[in-house]
Formats: sequence, structure tokens, C-alpha cells
Amino acid sequence: MREQSHGDPPRDHLAAVPAPVDDRSVADRLLVAVGRGDEAAFRQFYELVAARVYGLARQVLRDPAQAEEVAQEVLVEVWRTAARFEPARGSATAWVFTIAHRRSVDRVRSEQAAADRVQKAGAWAAQTPYDEVSGEVEERLERQQVRRCLDDLTSLQRESITLAYYGGRSYREVAQLLDVSLPTIKTRMRDGLIRLRDCLGVEVPA
Amino acid sequence: MSDVHALSGAYVLDALTDIERAAFKRHLASCATCAIEVAELRETAARLADGAWSVPPPALRDKVFAEVSRTRQDAPVAAKPIRPQRNRRLFTVAAAVVLAAAAATGTFAVQERRLDDQRTVAQAEAARVTAVLSAPDAALRSATSASGVRLTVVTSQSRNEAVLTMSADRPAGADRTYQLWMLDGSTAVNAGVLPVGTTSATRLLSGAAAADAFAVTIEPPSGSATPTLPTVGEVSVA
Repeated sequence: MREQSHGDPPRDHLAAVPAPVDDRSVADRLLVAVGRGDEAAFRQFYELVAARVYGLARQVLRDPAQAEEVAQEVLVEVWRTAARFEPARGSATAWVFTIAHRRSVDRVRSEQAAADRVQKAGAWAAQTPYDEVSGEVEERLERQQVRRCLDDLTSLQRESITLAYYGGRSYREVAQLLDVSLPTIKTRMRDGLIRLRDCLGVEVPA
Repeated sequence: MSDVHALSGAYVLDALTDIERAAFKRHLASCATCAIEVAELRETAARLADGAWSVPPPALRDKVFAEVSRTRQDAPVAAKPIRPQRNRRLFTVAAAVVLAAAAATGTFAVQERRLDDQRTVAQAEAARVTAVLSAPDAALRSATSASGVRLTVVTSQSRNEAVLTMSADRPAGADRTYQLWMLDGSTAVNAGVLPVGTTSATRLLSGAAAADAFAVTIEPPSGSATPTLPTVGEVSVA
């Protein structure tokens, strides 16, 4: 078949996109050690992830005190359940931030459910407009690859992912806020993430 | 694509209701390609956390460390069994093998898919993989070579298709990659070249009824027209 007979392409075109491999393998190794009950490893792991766990909770919950509670719950849960982490199925950071996001969203939803639905939905919508959410996030993402990749999305893909992830909105709420049909929002979330995945070069580890 | 399959994005963004979430999780248990996609999208969504960091209050560290020192850890849970479908034992076994290989490492099929219209192809492929695994005449074969390359194949004569999964202990080497082959007598048909550095793949292959074996060789990064012998892994279905 073809064995690069049409001339060797320049060397740097062949170089793999540099991934944060070191950071990742360090985090994976630490979390595996945590799973074996290593408290010192947990302390190191804490330093790696705590700012993002707390920040994510704060972003979603919009309340520092609640964010601190949720971050504490999440980090203790990481300690408690670390033995379930399997490096072959995903990175340690993804494992932790998945828990952190889920717990934050659970808290938001239960707060929402506790309040009068109609009234609260109105107040909630007014409380975190899309521009505010995305503005703060953009500042923090400055010069990061994720930011560049988010910029590559269509505005509907970007807004639906941002409102769901950073704003903790359900896809029904996102559809309402952006005045788009439910099937469209589902699809934009999925194809937006797929595009993001390809841009970031994300792979399930080998 | 079934409607539920389209929910993978909303699922990893935690944007589903509890009921939709439960329905999607049930779907995941029986859909190998969805499991790969969800793993990748979950990894992708988690990268968004980089945009949300905020310096935590100093007290958080003390509280967490104090609670951790008095909290017992849970024991690891055994992997959940794949839900049997129509009580067909082979389906369960085959799906478990394919899922395990795919969830552990398989990125190749997904990468190839990116070249095409992703959703349509993913949908069609998921349905075809499931169809092969649950075909009445599905046959499962597996072999591990001395060089540590494991090949598992489920073939269906009636569908003329096969689902081939491969996993190796290590990458093929510097400037080399693995290539899969479908063998019919003396003819070797290219069944896919893995990206350099990849150690596993799951492939859905058409025209598999005539095949009598499947093999893996080590080739240059762009693959070869004919296999470079010796093979590093082979499984016979004859």
C-alpha cells in the first residue's frame, strides 16, 4: 500500500500533540495509591485537584459557603471510594471532576425543587445570565487549550455546553433559555462535545 | 440512532432528569460503542473543570484531612455484569468481552468513525455490533499469542460480519503500528491500521463469512498492503 512514497512530510508534522501526560500520570498514580489507603498520597492529590473541585462547585452553585460544603463532601468521597478508580477506564482527574460536577448539580437541583418552581425558575434565570457565566470562565481559561477549542464551536454548541456544565442547567432549561427545540439542544450538546473531544485530542487511555 | 443514544452529550453534562439518566444508563449497559463514546465525552467534559478553578478557603483542607483520617474506605466493587439480553448466554459473554476491551482501551473504531458522518455511522455501527453479538449463529473465538497480543472475534455466518477486538501489552514500537487482517486461505484483507501508539482496537468487519482466521502484524505507521510476517497474534475461526 502507501509507505510514504510521496516524500517524507516535515518531521514536526508527525509529532504527537503534547498532552499533559505527566500531570495525568501523576494524578492517576496518586489516586491508585489513595485507593490502597495511602493518606500521604491523598494529601498530594488534594493539592492537585482541590482548586478545581471547589471552583467547579462554586461556579455551579454560585454560593461560596455551599460550594465549600459540596467540595468537602466530594473530596471525602474521593478518599472513601478511590479503590473503585480504574485507570484503564479514564483519568483520575476526569473521575474526580465527574463526581464534583454531579454533586454540585444534585445540590442545585434539590435547591430548585425545594423552592416554588415557577417563582424560583424566574429568579434563577435572572441570577446567572449566560454572559456572566461565560465571562468568568473565559477569564480563567485564558491561554488554555480548552478555551481555544471552545472558541472553535458554533455559538449554539458553546452556549448549550457552557450553560449545562458551568451553569448546572438541565437540557430542558437550556432549550428554554436559548429558545431552541429539545432535540436540537440534545444534538448540539453531543456534537459540540464530540468536536471538543477531537480538538483536545481526548482519548480513553490505552 | 435511537433517541436515547442521542442523549450521551446531555448525560455527561449532568443535564438529564433522573428518569432519563436511568434510561440512558440501561442503554449503556447493552451498547458497546456508546460506552466508548461516553467514556471519551466524559473525559472531555471533565477538561472544562480547568475553566472553573478558584482558590478554596484554607479551612477546607483541614476539614477534609480531619474527616478523611476518621473515614473508612469502601472496598472496591466488582464490575457490574452486563445485562443478559434475551437470556442468550453467548451474547452476554461476547458483549462482556467486547465491552471490556472497548471500555478498557478501544479508541480505534471511534477514531475511524470521526472521518465520517459521526452520528449516522455510530448509530448504524452500534446496531450492527449488537446484531452480530446476538445473532443466533454467533461464534466466539479468542487467542492470546506469546507476544501478549489478545484477539477476540465474534463471527456470524448469516450476517457475513464479525466483531474483532484486539489488545496488546505494549505499543508496536518506534515508528511501527499494529495492523489487523482478515485471512481467507492465502488472501489477507486489510482490517484496519491502528494509530501509532495504540494498543487496542474494536472493529466491525463485513464480508467475514469466508474468513478462516484473523491476525495482527507490526507494520509501518501508514500500514502495508500485505502482512509483514510473522504475525504477532492470530485467531482461527475455521
